[in-house]
Amino acid sequence: MKIEGTQKIDAPRALMFAALIDPAVLQKCIPGCEQMEKTGENQYSAKLTAGVGPVKGVFNATVSLEDIIAPEHYKLVVEGKGQPGFVKGSGELNLTDAGSATDIQYTGEVNVGGLIASVGQRMIQATANMLAGRFFKSLESEMKAQAKLPADS
Amino acid sequence: MIPASFDYIAAKSLDEAISLLATHKDDAKILAGGHSLLPAMKLRLMQPKVLIDLGRIKELSYIKEEAGQLRIGAMTTHFQVETSDLLRRVCPLLPETATQLGDMQVRNKGTIGGSVAHSDPAADWPAAILALDAEIVATSARGDRVIKATSFFVEMLTTALEPGEILREIRIPGGKGKSGQAYVKVRHPASGFAVVGVAVNLAADGGKCQSAGVGITGVSPKAYRAANVESGLKGNALDAKTLSAAAAHAADGVDINSDLYASAEYRKQLATVYTRRALEIAASRLK
Amino acid sequence: MAEKTVGKPIKRTEDPRLIQGLAHYVDDIRLPDTLHAVFLRSIYAHARIKSIDTTAAQKLPGVVAVYTGKDVAKIGPVPCAAALPDLKVPDHRALASTKVYFVGHPVAVVVAESKSAARDAVDLIEVDYQELPVALDEEKAADAKSPVIHEQFGTNVAYKLTAGEGDIEAALKSADQVIKQRILHKRLAPIAMETRGVLARYYPGEQELTLWTSTQIPHLCRTQVAIMLGMPENKLRLITPEVGGGFGSKLNVYAEEALMGWISMQLNRPVKWIEGRRENMQATIHGRGQTGYIEIGFKKDGTLTGLRYNVFADMGSYFQLLTPAIPTLTGLMLSGCYKIPAIQINVTGVFTNKMSTDAYRGAGRPEATYVVERALDLVAAELKKDPVEVRRKNFPQPNEFPFKTATGLFYDSGNYQGALDKALKMADYTKLRQDQQTARKEGRLMGIGVSTYVEICALGPSAAMPAGGWESATVRVEPTGKVTVLTGASPHGQGEETSFAQIAADELGVGVNDVTVIHGDTAIVQYGIGTFGSRGLAVGGTAVYLAIQKLKDKAGKIAAHLLQVDASTISFAEGKFTSSAAAGKQITIQEVTLAAHVAKSLPEDMEPGLAATSFFEPKNFTFPFGTHIAVVEINKETGEIDFQRYVAVDDCGKQINPMLVEGQIHGGIVQSMGQALYEEVVYDDQGQLITGTLMDYALPKAIMIPHLELGSTETPSPVNPLGAKGVGEAGTIGATPAIVSAIVDALAPYGVRHLDMPLKPEVLWQIINKKSAGAA
Ligand SMILES: Cc1cc2nc3c(=O)[nH]c(=O)nc-3n(C[C@H](O)[C@H](O)[C@H](O)COP(=O)(O)OP(=O)(O)OC[C@H]3O[C@@H](n4cnc5c(N)ncnc54)[C@H](O)[C@@H]3O)c2cc1C
Repeated sequence: MKIEGTQKIDAPRALMFAALIDPAVLQKCIPGCEQMEKTGENQYSAKLTAGVGPVKGVFNATVSLEDIIAPEHYKLVVEGKGQPGFVKGSGELNLTDAGSATDIQYTGEVNVGGLIASVGQRMIQATANMLAGRFFKSLESEMKAQAKLPADS
Repeated sequence: MIPASFDYIAAKSLDEAISLLATHKDDAKILAGGHSLLPAMKLRLMQPKVLIDLGRIKELSYIKEEAGQLRIGAMTTHFQVETSDLLRRVCPLLPETATQLGDMQVRNKGTIGGSVAHSDPAADWPAAILALDAEIVATSARGDRVIKATSFFVEMLTTALEPGEILREIRIPGGKGKSGQAYVKVRHPASGFAVVGVAVNLAADGGKCQSAGVGITGVSPKAYRAANVESGLKGNALDAKTLSAAAAHAADGVDINSDLYASAEYRKQLATVYTRRALEIAASRLK
Repeated sequence: MAEKTVGKPIKRTEDPRLIQGLAHYVDDIRLPDTLHAVFLRSIYAHARIKSIDTTAAQKLPGVVAVYTGKDVAKIGPVPCAAALPDLKVPDHRALASTKVYFVGHPVAVVVAESKSAARDAVDLIEVDYQELPVALDEEKAADAKSPVIHEQFGTNVAYKLTAGEGDIEAALKSADQVIKQRILHKRLAPIAMETRGVLARYYPGEQELTLWTSTQIPHLCRTQVAIMLGMPENKLRLITPEVGGGFGSKLNVYAEEALMGWISMQLNRPVKWIEGRRENMQATIHGRGQTGYIEIGFKKDGTLTGLRYNVFADMGSYFQLLTPAIPTLTGLMLSGCYKIPAIQINVTGVFTNKMSTDAYRGAGRPEATYVVERALDLVAAELKKDPVEVRRKNFPQPNEFPFKTATGLFYDSGNYQGALDKALKMADYTKLRQDQQTARKEGRLMGIGVSTYVEICALGPSAAMPAGGWESATVRVEPTGKVTVLTGASPHGQGEETSFAQIAADELGVGVNDVTVIHGDTAIVQYGIGTFGSRGLAVGGTAVYLAIQKLKDKAGKIAAHLLQVDASTISFAEGKFTSSAAAGKQITIQEVTLAAHVAKSLPEDMEPGLAATSFFEPKNFTFPFGTHIAVVEINKETGEIDFQRYVAVDDCGKQINPMLVEGQIHGGIVQSMGQALYEEVVYDDQGQLITGTLMDYALPKAIMIPHLELGSTETPSPVNPLGAKGVGEAGTIGATPAIVSAIVDALAPYGVRHLDMPLKPEVLWQIINKKSAGAA
């Protein structure tokens, strides 16, 4: 399953990119990410509680950042396993300047397996879009919050 | 198909249900007709520790006229809506929607409150509720809270109900002038749920459309009011050209679902065609 | 004297208990101390099992045992009865041990005091998988570059087989024209209303095992399970209580059947497993699954010269009972009801990371009919001839039967023109074509589809079957005159309790309600083969008939003895024996029966009792046929299909009970509509089964089905004394091509000549939309 889109976020590209590879920011933005621990260079283990509405599952996940070309491109890979099955998502993010803001163009591939794959067919695409939407929404508020902080922090 | 174990409590009154919910919080789920909840539990997609059954609370099952509104208790079954003489007279959209929902067994057990609270993206009721400009009454230890249908459906399977709140009643404003209503739907061949469901509530005066409510389900992750369709109708004569032109905006500005049965492109087409049909039927019923 | 019932539409005697919920399925059988089994199944399509940790599951209160692949290694492999040259047969064990091959592959089984404890424990089993690349599409998986599923074979090609007669190259060369077409038969799920289920009880004292299981083949299943368990066959009793549908999916021997028996023997307690619907989707066999290439050669006048079908058949990852044999049935029926001088099928059986395919209603023959009927439509379209005319041109004439095909069969009897003419008349075909002209002028998309089919039934002569093609019956007249029929066929919805009772009642001059038909218990019923391949009546019913003839012969001798006349003077009619030598004297079958049982006065050397057994071996298959006509109109704006007419004329030989015939035809057509319009088992590109529940896998429902106008012709089969041919699969064979043909015909103005099923509205809309947009 594919997800793609473009998101404009009101933050300069360098700052934007720095945030996108910052584990603290990622933890806040990856929907349902409860904890994230470094396990290696750009590798993290995470616990995700993800789903829609009352239908949620707990996933033990790995998060890795690949193909980093600052400040324009990287690949975010999240793989999780849990009782409802497994989720694998990878997204290529490309950042371009849009005046003082940044355009983030993303294309991702999401695969699910197990229970969610066998019962969730009709909602999977919408869920993936929704989770991507949440990611960027959180990112936007994170950037807003950062903008309010003193520049040197 | 074996759920995780859970405790079951049959609440005897609404107050008891509210206090049970306050006690058990996130561990608890309200059980209405069980026709969405139990399948999810059997698949272990949901594993509540406690079920609070509203089934014994008679005071939640009614259809009545009060304060210029129609009021429907949350535990009213789809079947009761389908067969209500009152509704057939004053708000035929609701029985017409019920008739097309699920099958006999589902209609016998499932409730309008349960369906609206569950907010399945392909459920039928949300379309009608939106088209009718209904209000939803949520109740909790803090008392009643009235929520407009337009702000009730938040996203897929998510509503404006807050933790601890029970959906108590659905209120539908009384109509003014001549009204014409219709519900049409494309049934998914497997599930019977709406691939596209369009509910229309028109009011006209002197041959001109006075107000239009168009609720659409199945098309997007949540049911919505098709604002551009409505504005294309208001103030205009409801002739074929107007209806068709308005219907073309059925899926304006929404994310469109795609699944194995229908791609987004095709769903959009269905939404347009079925909106036009619903408008035509509703317009022909104006009286 | 009871009224004759053969040929009459009497109501099914089994229905009252079914309708009232009084029937007993496996899950309705409750034994004290029963344990419950729940499976952990693979969520990957292809993976190596690095480790399995069952510790936590084992510790859960209520859990009695957890077994994994290595624990059950003593259970023999799941059998495949199909013998083909150079067939690569994977070692198919009850549980996966080193690798999993498909989503749903059983990895472990938990046995607990309650279902919920067993289910809870399943979530506590930790399996460490190493994912492997998948091979999913049968055509691509056959390629040398594909990931290989069974490493020991070095390829996914399970077998290659060429069959057919005549010089196909020459035949295609001699044609004025050859049309080629790629054609898909998507995987379908049989979806019996009752999922599979097994209850096993071991009696340690007697060292006997009783297995209640939902199967179509109780005796064959007993033999195979006994072999798998390494136990004497006569210590295993297999009972099929009510079976809630099979459609071929229970013409099988499954790992779970042997496994439950084995577990019960380990634990000395009854153990039950009831399959869930999601499990049923994943781990009960699927049907169809072919990607084929048609080449059909023909003359300008429509005469067919040759047909070649190159097909990649999707086996799934393992063989079940008949998996590799199913495409060979396709090969057998490629002549359809036409004279085709040369026919060749080239089958490549291919392993894929999916559940096994096997027999699903029609089993290989719907594929053949679909191929031939689509081919004839293509020929007609190319020649701009009416599809009916092209069919008629190639029919064998009624006097040409038995008709030999280039696939090596002898069609027993037939009158294809007769059925076609009747259907055309019922549908008013000429008028329909005129209406179509009008519709097209008005811009409406009306289509008419005609399929003329023949099928191979009454499987079959033993020489052509993997495990015997005969059937058995024992008929007893009890001392009170009541008749008991024990049949080796194992009816599960076909209504044979009624039709066999009709045969016995008429033959013995008793009432239908005086006859009880017993089946599905290996400790009571003599060995039999089972119900599949539209064989119940034509083979099993014939065995009943023949047993009765033996029994009547003996009864006649007793009657002669009692009437003190010579046996050669005795005749039997309407329940009474009379003698041409003693006018006015008669003796009833009941009196004779009583005499046979009290045994005080019997002919010298005659054994007491009145029972006879017959094992009927048919000399040939039977070949029912017919014509189906579908009329549709397609909505231009949405691609939605509206059925305007559906006419079917089927000839299944002699009809014992026309109501049963109609029921079978109805069901078959409905399943065909499912295939043509909605059904498709979909695995995504990772091998996840995404039509995993009935929310996504669309079975046709009553409201989706148009009125069916049925007619019939009756051409008796010479193969058995009943003249019956079989009708269980006719609907699924004749209807699919008619429906597709109608839809393709409706879209002919857009240049469409073929479309692959399922014909979802979106597919049609895309065609209409693109072409209209292109034209605009
Ligand atoms: C075979 C089948 C076919 C169906 N077909 C259709 C169809 O075509 N169209 C359609 O729209 N629906 C369909 N449904 C769903 C059906 O309408 C359900 O009955 C309905 O969605 C839920 O209502 P319920 O009373 O069964 O609620 P439940 O299943 O009991 O509850 C659903 C959810 O809402 C919550 N809830 C229930 N009542 C309240 C309340 N008063 N306050 C707060 N929360 C509450 C529950 O906690 C639960 O999370 C089908 C269901 C089945 C099983």
